[in-house]
Parts: sequence; structure tokens; C-alpha cells
Amino acid sequence: MCPTVLGRLETRTFTLIIPAVLGAILSAVTGHTGYIVLIGIFLMVGTVLDIGVYPILIKWQPPWLTFVLAVVEFVIVYVIAVTLKVGLGHVDAIWFFWLSWVIANWTKVVIFPIVSLSWIENAGEFRITGWSVPPEMEPLPVVASVAPRAPGVLAREFSAVGEIPEGLRNLPAPSGVHTRPADLDPAARSA
Amino acid sequence: MYLGFRPEEVTIFGPSENPVGTYQQFAYNLGQTVLRSESESHFFPADWPTFAQLDAWSRRSPRPLARSSRRKYNPGVPEILTQAGVVAHRLGWENCRVPRRVGWLQREVEPGNHFVLYDEEANFIGRARHVMLALGHGPLVFPPALAKAREQPHLADRIVQAYAPKQYASSGRYIVIGSGIASINEWANALDAGAKVVALRRNPAPDEQDLNVPRCLFESRGIDVFAGLSFEQRVAFLGEVLRGTAPTRRNWVDKIVEGRAEGRFEEMIGEIDQAEAGPAGLRVHVASRHGEDPGWLDITGVVAGTGFNKSALTIPLLRRLISHYGIPIESGRIRLKTNCGVPKLDQPDSRLCMMGLTANSVIPHGDTIAGLKYIGRRFVADCARAERLRMRSFASRLSMQLSLAHDTSRALRRVRETQQLA
Repeated sequence: MCPTVLGRLETRTFTLIIPAVLGAILSAVTGHTGYIVLIGIFLMVGTVLDIGVYPILIKWQPPWLTFVLAVVEFVIVYVIAVTLKVGLGHVDAIWFFWLSWVIANWTKVVIFPIVSLSWIENAGEFRITGWSVPPEMEPLPVVASVAPRAPGVLAREFSAVGEIPEGLRNLPAPSGVHTRPADLDPAARSA
Repeated sequence: MYLGFRPEEVTIFGPSENPVGTYQQFAYNLGQTVLRSESESHFFPADWPTFAQLDAWSRRSPRPLARSSRRKYNPGVPEILTQAGVVAHRLGWENCRVPRRVGWLQREVEPGNHFVLYDEEANFIGRARHVMLALGHGPLVFPPALAKAREQPHLADRIVQAYAPKQYASSGRYIVIGSGIASINEWANALDAGAKVVALRRNPAPDEQDLNVPRCLFESRGIDVFAGLSFEQRVAFLGEVLRGTAPTRRNWVDKIVEGRAEGRFEEMIGEIDQAEAGPAGLRVHVASRHGEDPGWLDITGVVAGTGFNKSALTIPLLRRLISHYGIPIESGRIRLKTNCGVPKLDQPDSRLCMMGLTANSVIPHGDTIAGLKYIGRRFVADCARAERLRMRSFASRLSMQLSLAHDTSRALRRVRETQQLA
């Protein structure tokens, strides 16, 4: 898979819904808020990594890398949880993290492809099943053109439709290149 | 049907009695045992379970999963054909089929936009609001000198396509042309038979690539960018990425190393520019732009892994549509809309789409299983929106998927496990 940043964020968020519900239930039942706080830390750490780290390091993500990333994320989440004293014992934090990860991963592997046929193809994004570029958005070549204008005054005056004024007839050509000097003009010399 | 269309709302037109019959024959002729595709490429509507998961479950073995996690799993040809058979049977493929080849499509606007379909003898065979053209490849092609030589009856049998049926003599000398997966398969097949092989390629070594196009082009991340290019840029890009690519396969490498050590395998850069009858059956002249000309060679035969003619004009129905409706075409490719729609005929409420190789100017891997599914899913989604289809529930879709997986799994247990090559 070649996930986009948006795809990573959407996938991360939706896969943590079930663990969050589970964490909330456990927190309510046991009175330890640490369970739901741990999921919150997991989501926050994941979001930071998804935005700032993974897109730079990983373009195409092979399946084995998922496990490596899970270990990295576990270490970070665990250290933060211990530092912040979220109210969970070490053992509870460890088993709940890994249970949440397994649930999240199963959600990703099993449920998402059924929920959205094109989720994998869409780089982890939940789009409607559609085309990358709809035909109406297809890029078209842009050609510069000038808006048609009515002929100006001079154009109408110069028009060949009407008679030309007498004074325009027999005027010399504008070019002086072919003007023959008078002394070389055979007609003038014979005269 | 996975989305909610009823079987009677889907009709398949075509004379083939087996939906994967053509592929099966080509795979057999090539001696292909595993797909080039990876675990997600299979015939279930949704992507889960992947083929590696299905294989692991069926055979109670974690090995396919371990291989898949390293991207070293490729579904076996017998296994994938088994799955295709199960899916076709379960979805009632044969009951939906009209055994006629479509020869003409007529756009009608009353009552409502639709198409009238005729067979190749101009008999009416049906009407459809939405049509997907899955017409496959054009004919196989040979390099010009060999195509000319094949016109001589006594030489025609000695110049064959990789995709055509063939056999190698153990003492034979063969030239295999090309550098793609079909050619490499034939190197291995000829070496297996004990023959001597010269692998002839026009260009220096091909790029090594496991899949037909770069991986990210299989997904929206690549397709978004690709589809944003102009048609000309897309065609130029395809020309670049689709030149002979071949994956490394452990068994192939072993065979080639062994063949080379035994003096039975050699690579050569050049092109055959003349061919005539010779004492060994065939005499060919090889010219090279990368060194001394190898000159005339006496050989038993030539195998061309040069593939198919990619021009849409080689497919009769497309040629007629292009000619009659004035569909724009450039360099043999129809200028499809970015939703794979056929210009001038495709409408949002009555779609006419293309898939396969003829659509790879829009979807670069359009001729792979993954590409066919990519196009098919979006076409069906468009149809569902146009028809205001009431979609199946999540539970119903999951149930259908599990049921298909269950039946395939049972069938796979009766199939001998194919050896992985990667």
C-alpha cells in the first residue's frame, strides 16, 4: 500500500474506534481512566507520526513494516504513559496496548475492505468509489485567443467594398528601392 | 451482485464457455505456474481475504502469510483458476451469458439512453443501459523480418510466439526474443527440456520490477497523479514504464545460472533482420547496434516473446465504432475519458466503458487483475448511482464474501500446492 497522509489519518482514527469504546468500558468498570487515556495517547502519537514522520520515510509500505512500526509506536506510547503517570500498571498498559493494536489491525484487514471496496486502492482514504479525475475535471489544453471585435473606423474606411477616393489612385509606391534615377531612365534620355 | 444488482440485471456477451479460458491457454503455453500478481489480486469482489490468507487457511499453513508479509507470495495458476471457477459458478456466470460475440453497438435515446447490441452477423442480441467493453488484447505480433518469414509455409512452424503452443527438442538450438516475463519463462522451459538457448534482446537488460507497473501506480496515490497528466503525457509515460520488465524468480535464476555454466544459455543484444530456411531448419541474421554483428545463425527455431498488438484498431468491434462514431484515436489508443468512458458514446446515465489493455492510458495497470477490479468497481459504482441502486447491507456483503471464501477454500484443498518461485 502507498498510503497518503489523509489515508493514514483516516485509517488510524477509524481503526481506534473499537479500542476506544473498549477502553471507555474498561475505565468505567475498573475506575482506572488509564485505559481510555492510553488510547488517546496512542491516537496522538500515531497522528504525529502519520503527519510528520511516516510520509517522509515510507512511500510504499510492505506488510512486514506494519509490525515494526507497531513496536516503535508501542515504545513511544509506553514511555509517554509512564512519564505522564496515566494510572495504569505496567502489565495493564502492555496487554491493553497490544490488544488494541490487534483489534485495530483486524479492523483494517477485515472490516475496511468490506465497508469500502476501494479503501485499499484509495491509499487508505475513505472516498466514494469513483474516478481519480472525473471527466468534467479533466485538464484541457489552454489556447490564448482574442475576443472577436467589430472592425474599427479605419478598417471600414479602407474596405474594398466601397469606391476609393480619386486622390488615392496613381499614388507612387511607398518603397524607394526601385525608384530609377532620372538620368538612367531610357524614356527621359531619348527625349 | 456484491453491491446489490440482481443476476437477471447483468448479461455477459461472448462465445467463451470459460471466463478465464484464454488466460488458461496462454498460461499453459507459456508454462507459467504462478501469477506475477500478488496476494490482493484475486476474483472475490472485496479484497479480504487476500489470496495468501485463503491459501493459508485452506492448507492450514502459515507459510503463505509469511511469504505475503515479505511480498514474496504469488498465487499459483491452478489455485487462481480454481477460485475463478468457484466464483463464476457461485455468481451464475453461465446463466447470465449470451453466447454471441458483440459485433455492433448502437446508441439509442428512446426510451431513455441505452445501447442496442448486435452480433457479428448483425442479429439483434439485446439492449443494455450500461456497457463495459472487456475485449482483451489484439493479435500476437512478430518482429517484421520474422513476420515476413512466417509467410513461407516451411518456416512458419519454426517461428512461434511465447504465448502459442510449442515444444522444445532436447538437442535443439533456440533463440528467444524479448526481455519480459513471457520470454524469461521460455528460457526456463527450453533449458528444462535440455535445449540450448540464446536470449536475444534489442536493448540492454530490462528493469527489474515485480509488478507490471511501479507499485504506487496500482493505487490512487499514483493513479491520481497519472490521471492528471494529458493524454499524450500518459501515453509517453506508459511507453517508458511498460518496456520489458521482469521480476526475479529464484528458480529462474538457478536454471539460468546452471544453463550458463553448462554452456547452454547465452544472452545477446541484437535484432533479427533476415530469416530463411537453413540446414538446422532456420537460418537467421542477427544485427547488433551494441557491438560486433553476430551474423548468420543456424537454429532449430525462434520464440518471440514480443506480446500483443496494442492498437485498438486490431479489435473489430472497436474499429467499427471508431470509424462510425468518429471516436478519437491516437497512436492506436482511444482517447478515453478519465473515467474510462468511450468519448461521444459514454453518458453519465448510460455508461460505455472500456477495461483491460485498451484502458491503460487511464489506468496504467488496466490489464492486470488489480487493474480490472479497479475499473470494474468504479464502473459498477457509477451504474449503481445512475440506477439509484439499493445497496446490500454490510452484513449481507460480509456473508457473501465469507461464503465465496468458504467454497473456494474447500476447492483449494483438492488442488496440489504450487511451488512458489520468488
